[in-house]
Amino acid sequence: MLRLAFLAPVVWLLCSCNRAPEKSLTIAVNAGVEGTALKTAAKEWGAAHGVKIEVVELPYANLFEKEQLDLSSRTGAYDVIMIDDPWFPRMADGLAALPHEPDADFIASCVAVTRAGGKTLALPYVGNSQLFFYRKDLFAKYKMDAPKTWDDVLAGAKKIGESEKMYGYVMRAAAGNAVVADFMPLLWAFGGDVLDASQKPVVDSPAAIDALRFMLQLGKYSPPGYAGFNADEVSAHLLQSTALMSINWPAWIAAMDDPAKSKVVDKIDFIPMPGERAPGVGELGTWLIAVPAASKHSADAFDFLFWSTDAPQQKQAALRGNPPTRRSVFQSPDLVGKFRAFPAQLAALESARPRPRTKLWNEIENTFGIYLSKANAGAMDPAAALHAASEEIAQILQRAR
Amino acid sequence: MNTRVTSEKPRHSWRRLPQGFWWTLPSIVVLIALSIYPMIYSVRLAFGDLGNFTRLISDRTFGIATVQTIVLTAVALAAEFVLGLALALLVDSLSRAKSIFRAGLLVPMLLPPVVAAVAWRLIYNPQFGVLNGTLRQLGVNTSALTWTNGHNSALLSVIVVDIWEWTPFLFLLLSAGLQAIPPDPIEAARIDGAGPWRLFRDVTLPLLKPTILLALLLRAMDLVRIFDQIFILTQGGPGTATETVSLYIYRTAFRFSNFGYAAAMSFVLLAATMLFSRGLMRVMRAR
Repeated sequence: MLRLAFLAPVVWLLCSCNRAPEKSLTIAVNAGVEGTALKTAAKEWGAAHGVKIEVVELPYANLFEKEQLDLSSRTGAYDVIMIDDPWFPRMADGLAALPHEPDADFIASCVAVTRAGGKTLALPYVGNSQLFFYRKDLFAKYKMDAPKTWDDVLAGAKKIGESEKMYGYVMRAAAGNAVVADFMPLLWAFGGDVLDASQKPVVDSPAAIDALRFMLQLGKYSPPGYAGFNADEVSAHLLQSTALMSINWPAWIAAMDDPAKSKVVDKIDFIPMPGERAPGVGELGTWLIAVPAASKHSADAFDFLFWSTDAPQQKQAALRGNPPTRRSVFQSPDLVGKFRAFPAQLAALESARPRPRTKLWNEIENTFGIYLSKANAGAMDPAAALHAASEEIAQILQRAR
Repeated sequence: MNTRVTSEKPRHSWRRLPQGFWWTLPSIVVLIALSIYPMIYSVRLAFGDLGNFTRLISDRTFGIATVQTIVLTAVALAAEFVLGLALALLVDSLSRAKSIFRAGLLVPMLLPPVVAAVAWRLIYNPQFGVLNGTLRQLGVNTSALTWTNGHNSALLSVIVVDIWEWTPFLFLLLSAGLQAIPPDPIEAARIDGAGPWRLFRDVTLPLLKPTILLALLLRAMDLVRIFDQIFILTQGGPGTATETVSLYIYRTAFRFSNFGYAAAMSFVLLAATMLFSRGLMRVMRAR
């Protein structure tokens, strides 16, 4: 009897192994609008091709952990994965090369972040880059032009903010990714950077210190406690008409024009990033899709990858709320009529800069973010904060050598 | 010819194992796979490179996280114990409706920590939160009250959330301890003329000591590895104002993929927790 109890599962397992394998794809997506569009597309593709689709939807931080573990241990748990572009340098070693190159309709800045070691390892799925959100109605009321420089931003924040009794500016300054994302456009506009060409930290250069001092000046016109703000707090201030301007991501554009959520419908304009000493550029935040090298269904996975990023599917994804990564889709007349920010998004995306392409970016960003957040919270002087950040980033780079 | 001897097959040694062994084998395999193997693997990760431990000494963030974990544990533990004991004594002294009060006081503890943290994040929002909103209605200037977003107020704000959520746990244990105290010594002390304070100090408290020790130990161990509330409320910020050791371990392992260093920090945390627990037990036993 006891032997039978152990034998039965073994027989069942052997029988299962002899069955013809079912065609299936397991897809890891980000829990959010970007992932929802890919999830819907995957189900449509699966139904049309007779492939069972299993979608693993994970919050941003967990998605990175799970994918990184799968890639490093080569378990082949996922056949298609969504990757935020700063993760790409760390994950590149575990990805399979595309069977052919992407076509020229893809926006160059989006494709540039999919290459490593002379190979293209992913396709850009969501064309995200930062935009500058400002209240066009109030700028018109005070006869001011749309801000072209950060000095214009400061002047507008002071004049309109004080007159309208609202916060002139609002920014994300919570430690980590949030504060770094909102500081990068300022840093680049002032002529600074995180790493130089030889991969040495330059976050305490005079240009970087000027940029941080400028950020603190903007902070005087920001709501109290902004040093702990993340995207939801920043957008809440814009939606509630309590703040005049901010850097923001395309995902929030729809909410600004949604009467159910917004008090500022059609009052906000979206423009490319202001410049200062250098032309303005926003940070690139493109979502990529790729096939892990350990995938057991790579042929189907690549079919899906190319299908979901072709022009008709990108159009569908745009209608589901995802900014496309193809020029032709951004310029499609019916979409431009539907999404008024598309011309500005295209311009911003074409000029957008990726975060430094290093495997250590997560650690560098965390350290940099801690000191930027401390300076914004008034706990450290800007120069001292950036010197300390530079010292710690140098240690991170040193340890990795 | 002795055919009987030659026809008997020798029994395999595994067949001589007691039948219970086979029934417990799946559990043993699961235990080895999920507990013992990962433990051995993490020892290898941490001690494979002793540089992981020397790095701890010069790591500023680890130092800050350690100090803050100690402060958070000490303050929250003291507050939760005092409030939990006070509430337990208060409810114990009630002549009726004890069960209603008990059930009501346990509600915060029943919420998942993540849900509680999200709720408090909304409460603490400086502009749109109910806390500052109420204070503004009362005429208080809230421009400097930034709670979890303020460098000086963030840690205290996190501690308040922990106190709110976990005081009921101490209340529950201490309440059970109070109910288990036999009535005779209390009656005897009363007959001898002991007042309420004397009764509490010389009879109730010494008899409650084993429960207090257990409650403090369980809560302290939990506080040392606090993660969920801080992850949702502040992510360790502003700056490093609310960074704790467990949050830093998580970040090091899963964001920076430096599993060796994270394992080394985990062993240090484990050793510190064991030392602290042992110290607490000695102090409590000595008294």
